[in-house]
Formats: sequence, C-alpha cells, structure tokens
Amino acid sequence: MSGQFILVQLFNGLILGSLYVLLALGLCIIFGMLGIIIFAHGAIFMVGAYLAYTVTAYLIPNFWVALVCVPIGMALGGALLEVIFLRRLYELPPLYVMLFTFGLMLVLQDLIRMIFGSMGVPFSTPAALAGAVNLGFMHYPTYRLFLIVLTAAVSLGVWLFLTRTKLGGLIRAGTDNPRMVEALGINISRIITLVVALGTGLAGLAGVLAAPIQNVRPLMGMDFLVDCFVVVVIGGMGSLGGSILGGLIAGELIAVGVMVWPPMANTLIYLFMAAFLLVRPRGLFGREAFHE
Amino acid sequence: MPRSQAYVLGSFIVLAVLFPHVAPYKALASEVLIFALFAMAYDLVLGYGGMLSFGHAAFFGIGAYTTGIILLRVTPSIPLALVGAVVFSSLAALFVGYASIRRHGIYFTMVTLAFAQMFYFIAFKWTGLTGGDDGLQGVPRPDLGPLSLHSETHLYYFILALVAVSIFVIVRVVNSPVGTTLQALRENRDRAMSVGYNVDRFRLIAFVISGCFSGLAGGLYALMLNMVPLGALHWTTSGEVVVMTITGGMGSLFGPVLGAVAIILLRDIISNYTESWSFFMGLIFMGAVFGFRGGIVGLLRSTIARLR
Repeated sequence: MSGQFILVQLFNGLILGSLYVLLALGLCIIFGMLGIIIFAHGAIFMVGAYLAYTVTAYLIPNFWVALVCVPIGMALGGALLEVIFLRRLYELPPLYVMLFTFGLMLVLQDLIRMIFGSMGVPFSTPAALAGAVNLGFMHYPTYRLFLIVLTAAVSLGVWLFLTRTKLGGLIRAGTDNPRMVEALGINISRIITLVVALGTGLAGLAGVLAAPIQNVRPLMGMDFLVDCFVVVVIGGMGSLGGSILGGLIAGELIAVGVMVWPPMANTLIYLFMAAFLLVRPRGLFGREAFHE
Repeated sequence: MPRSQAYVLGSFIVLAVLFPHVAPYKALASEVLIFALFAMAYDLVLGYGGMLSFGHAAFFGIGAYTTGIILLRVTPSIPLALVGAVVFSSLAALFVGYASIRRHGIYFTMVTLAFAQMFYFIAFKWTGLTGGDDGLQGVPRPDLGPLSLHSETHLYYFILALVAVSIFVIVRVVNSPVGTTLQALRENRDRAMSVGYNVDRFRLIAFVISGCFSGLAGGLYALMLNMVPLGALHWTTSGEVVVMTITGGMGSLFGPVLGAVAIILLRDIISNYTESWSFFMGLIFMGAVFGFRGGIVGLLRSTIARLR
C-alpha cells in the first residue's frame, strides 16, 4: 500500500465526512430546538440532489445557479413544512413528529421514483471544477477539494451565525429555554421556523454537493441518514462542534475501513459507536440531561 | 376475566380460525399473523417500556436468517430452526439492549437504529452465509413429524398455534410483577428509582423478551416466504412495526395486533392498484398522526363510549 494511496483515501474520507457534517449540522440544530429527529432528513438530502439535476439538466445548465438556488428553495420548503404540519405536533410526544417525518420520507422517496425512475440519473462534475489540482504531494480532483473547502466555510458560517449574531443568540437561547425566551416577548415560533429552514437548507446543500460524486437515486439518503445518526451520537447531540468532529471521524473511519477490509467498511462506524458509547455515553461534547 | 373481554377474545379466536378462508390468499393471512406477533412483541418495548426502539428489524431479521440458515445448511428441523431463531435474536437483543439502554429518549432511538443497520450491513456483505442482496433463497419447509406444512393452510394453523402461545406468554409477562414494574417505570422513572427499582435492568429484561418474540416472528416469516429477503433487516422494517403499533394503539397489546392487520391488508389492497404503494402508505402515516392518535383501539373505545 503506497503512501499516495493512503493519502488519497484519507482525502476521500474527508469528502464523505463533509457530507456527514452538513447533514448532521442540520439534524443537530433542529434536534437542539425541538428535541426531535427528522427521519425525512435523508430524503430531503436526496430531493436536493434531484433538484440540482432538474435545474442543471432542464432549466439553466449552470451548476452555480443550482448550488445557490436549491438550498434556498429547500429552506423555503422546510419553512413551509414547519408552518403547515410540524407546528401542530409539538404538543404531542416527540414520537408523533417522528412518525410524521417517517411517512414524509416514504412519500418523498416514492414521489421522486415515480418522476425520475428508480435507476437514478446521471450528473456530471461542473466544467469549471473538472480536472485535478496538484497539491505538491499528489493530484486530487478539483471538485472534491472544492467540496471540502465549501463545507468548511459553511460550517464556519453556521458557527459564526449562531455564536456572533443576535438571531443566532436567540436560537441558542431558545434551545436552552424556549419558555423563557417567549416570556421575554420574542416570537419563538418564528425562530423555530427559521431553525427548521436552516436545517433543511443545509441538507439541500449537501444534496447538491453530493450529486456529482454519488449515485443520484431515490434511496441515496435513506442509509446515509443512519450514518448521520451515528455521527451525532459520537459527537454528542446538540453540539455543533460534536457534529463537525463526529462527521469527520465517521468519514475517515470508513476511508480507513476501505483500505483495511472493504466489506466491513460500513460496519466499522457502528462498531466504533458501540465501543464509544461504553466509554462516553453522551458522546464527545454531549451535555448532561439535554433532551433526555 | 370480565364477560366483555371474554367476548372480544372469543371473537378474535373465531376470526383467526376463519381468516385464511376469507383472506384473498392464504399466505396473506399468515403474514398478518406474523406481523401481529411482531407488533405485539414490539409493544412491550414501546407501549409498556416507553422506549422508542428503531432497531427491531435486527431481531426480526436475525430470527428469519437463523431459521433460514439452519433449515438450509444445518438440519431440516423446524423446531430446532425456530429455537435457534429465538436464541440468536435474544442474544442480539441482549447485546443491543445492554449498549443502548444507558441512553434515553431520542438517543436510545438513534442507537438502536444504528445497531440494526450494523446487522443489515453484515448480512448485506456476508454473501456466503446470507445470499447478500438477493436474500437467502430456497429455504425448505420440511415436514413436522406426521404434519406436512407444504399446504399454506396447514402452515397458517401452525403459525396460529405458535402465535397464540406467544400471545399468552406476552400477556402473562405484562401482568407479572416485571410487567407492572415496567409500567411504573414508564409512568414515573424518578419515583420508581427512589423506591429502589433498578430501572435499566427492567428495561433490559423487557427489551430481551421483546427481541425474543420478534425473532420468533422473523423465523415464521422465513418459513412463510420460503426465503429471507435482505429487506427484513432494513430499518424500514423497524419503521413499519413502529407504525403498526402506533396506528393500532400502543400500550394495549391487542391494539398493535389490529394495527398489523390493518396495515398489512391495506398494503395488499393498495399494491393491487398501484406500484407506488409506499407513497400512499407514507400519506396514511402522515395522516394518522393528525387523525387518530389513540390508534384503532382509541377509536374503538371512544366509539363504544359514545354508543353507550
């Protein structure tokens, strides 16, 4: 096994990790606010990829337009979902919201299958990002480097937004104590809508970014979502840093698994999670008694 | 037993005996029974233990694969194959339960889901043992002593007998000291703890019993289909049993049975008309959350109350 091969694999782990990070961030902020997980999150990711395909193949053949418009569109869709449906379910046990989103997942997946077929659609790397970059020690595809850099920038942006802006402060306050925030005269339901929109927007972005490097097919998000659960369990629910670090760890674990024993690469992260739970039941940065 | 309950039980028995003769085809009747048992076993964890497991496909699937592999590769004996299913799925439940009951609420859900996915990937990749993506094909259905199970009707009554025994055991468990303690824990964890109950131990017991009967259901599923589809282990199977339990009415044991009957029959009807039944099932789940949260049992209860 050459050093070159190992480096390429580690970089590939970073790619997978980046997608995990984007999805886990969305899961994490929605969970922080509402104490629920959205089972449709993987399906939302998949819809993002298909929207990117629709935009580039039928409307405007420009990847950058899709990269900007699809996440915004998905965020709007998420806001609508929250306002029309989810909002009515918060008074019930969290179980019911999850059941609802499970149904939504089935509907989205089958809807996309009806429209585009179950075989998946082709999606090529945008021309401007084709080819490879010489990093000095190896050549690496430009698009993949772009994906890593963009994810880092977006994660930083989300972190700055939540920690450095007033709105972000309100979101964090709402996560810690929604009743108190409401008592201070702030419209918490708008903040919740914003959080769900942000989460689905991030999932949509991940979908667009994944389209050129993964098979765009109706079930692409289903198992990917479960990996993201592992990410947040490792990272600690409700912690942004945990989602980011957990995502990168999971991505690298799979990359290492592919080098060592390919058939067991996917199983490795679950075993790691099992072992990790025994040592640190709350994950890396999980807070005590947070939505438990 | 009060007279009203005796009537309900009696009509259940009559319906169960007549069922294969009114169902569109015999295998459908068997499938309904199998998922009724699975949902009832699942209700021990969700309805009585208050734990939302999303990993029960693991125990169902392990039961199915164990039965299939024993019948296909070890010995053509149905009792042995089903005992194997129960043993292996209980062991899996012990392992998953031990690692996940230290987490509560949503964490528990995600951890159980992730473990189930681990078993799914193992079965997916270990093609030599499980047949991988194609599933385990050609599981035989050997004779049970003098009784041939080749006829779907015979198989149905064989499954009915096992399911009836299982239901009896599950009802006994629920009404036993373990069962009542479990319900106390669900209602008020802190209080039960302060009285001195070891919460995690009771949760684990419930989880393993539930996994054990889920495994039996899985084993019967392998017999019914003459194969094990890989999908039995997939987390959508867990989702389905959750949905059956909730649409039926969790925490009532017979509710999940009704839920399983309703969902399996509904799926069969819808799939007669359209290929995209999962779209309509999804819509039904979404609607159910808004429509009747007490499940079918809640609906029946309120109807009966209104009639009186």
